[in-house]
Amino acid sequence: MNKIFGVALGILAAIGGFVDIGDLVFNVAAGATFGYQLLWVVVIGVIGIITYSEMCGRVAAVSQKAVFDAVRERVGFKAGLITLVAAEIVNAMTLTAEIGGVAICLQLLSGLPYRLLIVLAAIALAVVVWVLNFDWIERIFGYGGLCLLVFAVAAVKLHPDWGAVGHGFVPHVDTGNKLLFAYFGIGLLGAAMTPYEVYFYSSGSVEEGWTPKDLGLNRLNAIVGYSLGGFLSFALMIVGGALFLGKGIEPTTLGTIASGAQIPLGETGLILALVGILFAVAGASIDTLFSGAYDLAQFCGWEWGRHKSPAGAPRFTLTWIVLLVLGMLAVMTGVDAVKLTEFAVIFSVVALPLTYLPILLVANDKAYMKNHANGRLANVLGILYLVIILIVSLTAIPLMILTNLGQQ
Amino acid sequence: MSEPIDLGLGLMDHQLLDKDGRRCGNVDDLAIEGGPGGPAEVVAILVGPDVWRDRAGWIGRVAAWVARGGRVRIPWSEVAEVGPHVQLKKTAQEYGLGRGDDRLRPYIEKIPGSHR
Repeated sequence: MNKIFGVALGILAAIGGFVDIGDLVFNVAAGATFGYQLLWVVVIGVIGIITYSEMCGRVAAVSQKAVFDAVRERVGFKAGLITLVAAEIVNAMTLTAEIGGVAICLQLLSGLPYRLLIVLAAIALAVVVWVLNFDWIERIFGYGGLCLLVFAVAAVKLHPDWGAVGHGFVPHVDTGNKLLFAYFGIGLLGAAMTPYEVYFYSSGSVEEGWTPKDLGLNRLNAIVGYSLGGFLSFALMIVGGALFLGKGIEPTTLGTIASGAQIPLGETGLILALVGILFAVAGASIDTLFSGAYDLAQFCGWEWGRHKSPAGAPRFTLTWIVLLVLGMLAVMTGVDAVKLTEFAVIFSVVALPLTYLPILLVANDKAYMKNHANGRLANVLGILYLVIILIVSLTAIPLMILTNLGQQ
Repeated sequence: MSEPIDLGLGLMDHQLLDKDGRRCGNVDDLAIEGGPGGPAEVVAILVGPDVWRDRAGWIGRVAAWVARGGRVRIPWSEVAEVGPHVQLKKTAQEYGLGRGDDRLRPYIEKIPGSHR
């Protein structure tokens, strides 16, 4: 009973932890531009992240290898290093966007000056990571992020045309502007399949000391956690579609996104939305912070671990501190967090194949995986998604330029 | 060592663990002796950013320059086990591995709560 309770708590935290600034920006913007038409793309993205997270968790449980161990072993030093650099750049962009998001939420809630809040946010994040044990970090930010469920209530309250919503889940392309449609499609895939999620998930599984006995738990976590997280994405897009479509409103700020809950639900809706966004992006800041440190430490063979005390893994600790300071300074330049989010998601799409191919190779390697190597379903999905990711990664930047970041 | 090991996939770039399970570098390269006409034998594991210099052209040289680390040679006889990770027989300190972490630790320890 205790175990079921623990799993349930973990899943609750995963729902709140799934959504980050990339999901917020792309889902609401896609709703505002195309209504409910792109819901099916979110489903594809969620199945993709489930497929690869399950694989990473399984590799971690069977071989005690996190993603960047696998990357370097399978593709070698040179290609591994290129992958590392790409991952770190994308990760730093994402981290900057998330910290910016934290500061914006704090500003909307408190009215204090933005730059002061950037510094406060960075200090608060550092203290939380330094002082709290990771189980608590996960719980606090996961449960806080559950406030985002207010968008699900808002979606229902807005009385969307449920027939149109249902139609949105059927894969189709029905627009005069196919380029823009493709751009948002790629953004939604990228937001759902953000690479830092798999780095974080796999490293966490190694740290938890998973063994083949935990494979059931791994599958459950991946499937239920991400599916329920996907529901929040649906809610965000439905709110974006119901409120902003055809009104000429582009949700270019987090304030506009939060107003999606305020309009149907009033002041309470606004506050819940802002608190939810705050916890979601703060949690994602911590995840990206650790992901950057995991990747570097694993590539270099250093000691690492969020469950270790800061002194237990010194270079890992220094790496996340440096990343946090760099992220804070980058936000201080006044860069627009929402714009940066779009760049971060699109560039992360470009780097996706480099991350996912080694995972697929290792998960198929019988020498490590023995009888837990990929079965037919995991391989069919894995290869299908690798093809999708390749196409998407080759077209992402051309589409970003052609559509002028979706402004077209 | 009875099981054959694929040196490229089963050894190169793998994580090194010392006898206490501490992560202390990767197998950055191998020293192999013997050549055409005779049996070739792995005699040592080479560890450290200095080894990268010879591995990946200018990218490796840039990485080695950025990381500024040395080179440690671990005789093959010090290897206790090759599994998913490569386990060594003694502690990292005895080999001069993990020095970066050891050097940095005193500074991290000055901050309260570093041992939570």
